[in-house]
Amino acid sequence: MQILEMVVNGAKRAMILEEGRVMLSDALRDGLGLTGTKVGCGAGQCGSCVVVMNGEAVTSCTTLASKAQGAEIVTIEGLARGGELHPIQEAFIEANAIQCGFCTPGLVMALYALFCKNPAPDDVILKKELNKHLCRCTGYEVIWDAAVLAREKMNGTRKACSE
Amino acid sequence: MLNVVGKNIRRVDAVAKVTGEPIFVADITLPNMLHAKVLRAGVPHARILSIDAGEAEKMPGVVKVATGGEKPLYFGACIIDQPVVAYDKVRHAGDPVAVVIADTVLHASEALKKIKVKYEELPYVLDPIEAMKDDAPLIHDKVQDYWYIPSCIFPVPDTNIFHHYKLRKGDREKGFKEADVTVESDFESPLINHAALEPHGAIARFDANMETLEMWASQQGPFILRDVVGRMFGMETSRIRVHSPMLGGGFGGKSDIAMEPIVAWAASFVPGYAVKLILTRQEVMTSTLLGRGMKGRMKLGAKKDGTLTGLEAEMYFASGPYGDTGVFVYTVGGHNCSGPYEIPNCHVDAYGVYTNNPPVGAFRGYGHPEGEMMVSRLLYQLAKKLDMPLEDLMKKNFLAPGRVNSVGQVMNQDMGDLPGCLDIARNAIYSEDLPREDDEYFYGRGFAAMFKSPKHAANASSTCEIHINNDGCAFVNLSGIEMGQGVYTVFTQMAAEVLQLPFEKVRVSDKVDTQHNPWEWMTVASLQTYRGGRAIQSAGSRILALGRTNACLVWHCEPESVSYENGVYTHINTGRTLSLGQLARGFMTDNAVTIGEPLQAVGWYRVADVEDPDPDTGMGNVASSWTFGAQACSLRVSKKTGKIDILHFASAFDIGKAINPMLVKGQVCGGVVQGIGGTLMEKVVFKDGAVRNTNFPGYRIPKFEDMPLKQSVFILETPNNLGPWSAKPVAEHPIVVVAPVIMNAVADATGIEFTSIPLTPDVVLSALNDTSSISTGC
Repeated sequence: MQILEMVVNGAKRAMILEEGRVMLSDALRDGLGLTGTKVGCGAGQCGSCVVVMNGEAVTSCTTLASKAQGAEIVTIEGLARGGELHPIQEAFIEANAIQCGFCTPGLVMALYALFCKNPAPDDVILKKELNKHLCRCTGYEVIWDAAVLAREKMNGTRKACSE
Repeated sequence: MLNVVGKNIRRVDAVAKVTGEPIFVADITLPNMLHAKVLRAGVPHARILSIDAGEAEKMPGVVKVATGGEKPLYFGACIIDQPVVAYDKVRHAGDPVAVVIADTVLHASEALKKIKVKYEELPYVLDPIEAMKDDAPLIHDKVQDYWYIPSCIFPVPDTNIFHHYKLRKGDREKGFKEADVTVESDFESPLINHAALEPHGAIARFDANMETLEMWASQQGPFILRDVVGRMFGMETSRIRVHSPMLGGGFGGKSDIAMEPIVAWAASFVPGYAVKLILTRQEVMTSTLLGRGMKGRMKLGAKKDGTLTGLEAEMYFASGPYGDTGVFVYTVGGHNCSGPYEIPNCHVDAYGVYTNNPPVGAFRGYGHPEGEMMVSRLLYQLAKKLDMPLEDLMKKNFLAPGRVNSVGQVMNQDMGDLPGCLDIARNAIYSEDLPREDDEYFYGRGFAAMFKSPKHAANASSTCEIHINNDGCAFVNLSGIEMGQGVYTVFTQMAAEVLQLPFEKVRVSDKVDTQHNPWEWMTVASLQTYRGGRAIQSAGSRILALGRTNACLVWHCEPESVSYENGVYTHINTGRTLSLGQLARGFMTDNAVTIGEPLQAVGWYRVADVEDPDPDTGMGNVASSWTFGAQACSLRVSKKTGKIDILHFASAFDIGKAINPMLVKGQVCGGVVQGIGGTLMEKVVFKDGAVRNTNFPGYRIPKFEDMPLKQSVFILETPNNLGPWSAKPVAEHPIVVVAPVIMNAVADATGIEFTSIPLTPDVVLSALNDTSSISTGC
């Protein structure tokens, strides 16, 4: 029996890992009840499951949970603080970049990882990141608007990144 | 003067959706819950000789392995031809043959590998035209013996044809005798997948006595699911409760009943336990429903002046082995293949054909894209033949007030401004300079016009309950499904408008539970705003009338002496006022005597006077509204790779009234890009009769890099007597003619007259290299 310990959204968490190929997405969703992380394809192709692990955006549906032993994880549930939305979340709302909401958590987390490493990415970097995600509802233009607006709101600083 | 309707109000689910709060079916965990995994056939057509589940049953965590023969049940809403779990034969490679129920998903998956099935493989057929031939493998022995709705479904006995829809308007011979010019072509629209990002899923739980069944499902039609499952088990529907949580996209793929009966069936083996099944992406691709899949031929005849005289078409649909979900797509596809044009003589045969691919059901557009691709492409060719500008040819034949559509309905002013849509969409594209051909690219422009009418049960209705609370706010209860389109938001706007309350004082129920939410047909056909809005108006006006009655009881006056504005009744002569909140439970006097009725009301709306098409002519009053529009684009085609880039795509729809223009724009932009996917890249492909591209990116849908460089959306608002505040359906319409718009533009750019999609780079490149396929048009 393996115990998985992680720091998730700033809190130390532990869970029993089932034997077999348990993915990080399963551990977060089933083990910790953090269902905001979505699984769309199980193959790391749609980006809905992206969470931030040790500062990097990872597709949690293709990351073995055991690889997250001791890791620091940020999920979509960890961005808003005390009822106050993160600038990236605000940007998605203001740009009307939301329809069904299934791809949204992955997109928000991928941008969070990007901005925390590079608060002022150029358009090429931003487009490259968005191209790793699938959205079937919006047609992407509003997602681009949200990403650009989020970059503006970050204002070139890392102030909205967790320590 | 409108206060809330017509405004770009922020989605009510916006904050929840950026914080990970909404509950989709996969997010639900229940006490005493088990997990199911389904063994799929893997072969497209075979007799099941034996199933050995012995070893699987002994695997860790396994509670039950259920095989089809243990409980051979069928399900369906229109044609009952589908076993819940196959027991004698498998008819497509994704057919379920056994279900493992275990304590965890991993345990169920491990056990699945231990089930041994012996098959006697049978010849299979994927092509609908092949499947209609005398020597084709018969997929069901006697299609005519299944239960089906006899008034509108027409199987051909002892064949693979489960539905033959005929349109016979006017006289075909006359139509083509009068023609000076004809154009004709074969067309193909491949099988595609909805690819909603949320995979399908369901949870089912029978109580220990098997007296009640509770389900949670990613379903656009929870009430239909309830009815279908009730019929399947022979259970009263009052004992069945279906919850539909938030949906992660639908696009029609969650409107038909497909995977949910398997879960209910599995749960019936373990009463007292909840059984959960969330499909993998591979299962979504192989074992839910696909869309489109048409081979067709169309011929148009016209006089020298461009007046259309005749249309002749056959449409063959590879519907997969079960006809329940595709059948009416083909009826509509058949009668609306004439597009937004008046054609006096139409002769159309649409065939729903059993084939061994996954079954086909509703897909955004519902039969319209297939047919309107044909007519739009042929008009392009006809215009060239007649040496007439395409826009003039189109306008000459457009349906217009007083003109008659393909099913014999006379159009009126309610149809809106179709020529205006065409002018606006064209102008957006044609007023811009188009680069000249260079070493790298061909450049071109194209356009097409469309119409769509909703297909629905003649009794399709929406119900709305409104309750006014003590503090004067309103709770509005409807059963529309939120799947991204923003229905909670527009419901709230419409209720606020009719009650004259601020947006914030109205709350619309979210999630649907058939036990507590009122009857609703289903959230399909782009109708939820239209039909739900009329139900809200109906309930809202009843509430206001009740409030007025209460106020009159308090003031001992006649209704005429009371006015209502913004949540407050005023006695006109005295200026005394009473708020909705004061009257909410009836009015309580100083000594606590309460008079009047509580402010609660039920309203409803049913689509008006719709009937099934006549069995002989295929005509009749089959729709009560139409939305018209036009689209145009500019694009470039790479000479080196064949890749098509959309430069600017413009859409104009006359939708009467945009309740929330921002959300309408969301539907249009998203629909266009989905249409671009279908036109340029999407196609389900098969190997040995089984779907080969079972995940992304093998099944390629548009990515960020595929969006047009620019999109323009124009909303025309011609008042009409149909929708709430004139609002008409628009959710599917943006996808309907994206393919012919692009194909016409490609013809403009390269001279190549494509008649099938998708136009993948290799298809385009090989056509570019094959000079014989280029017609100069002179």
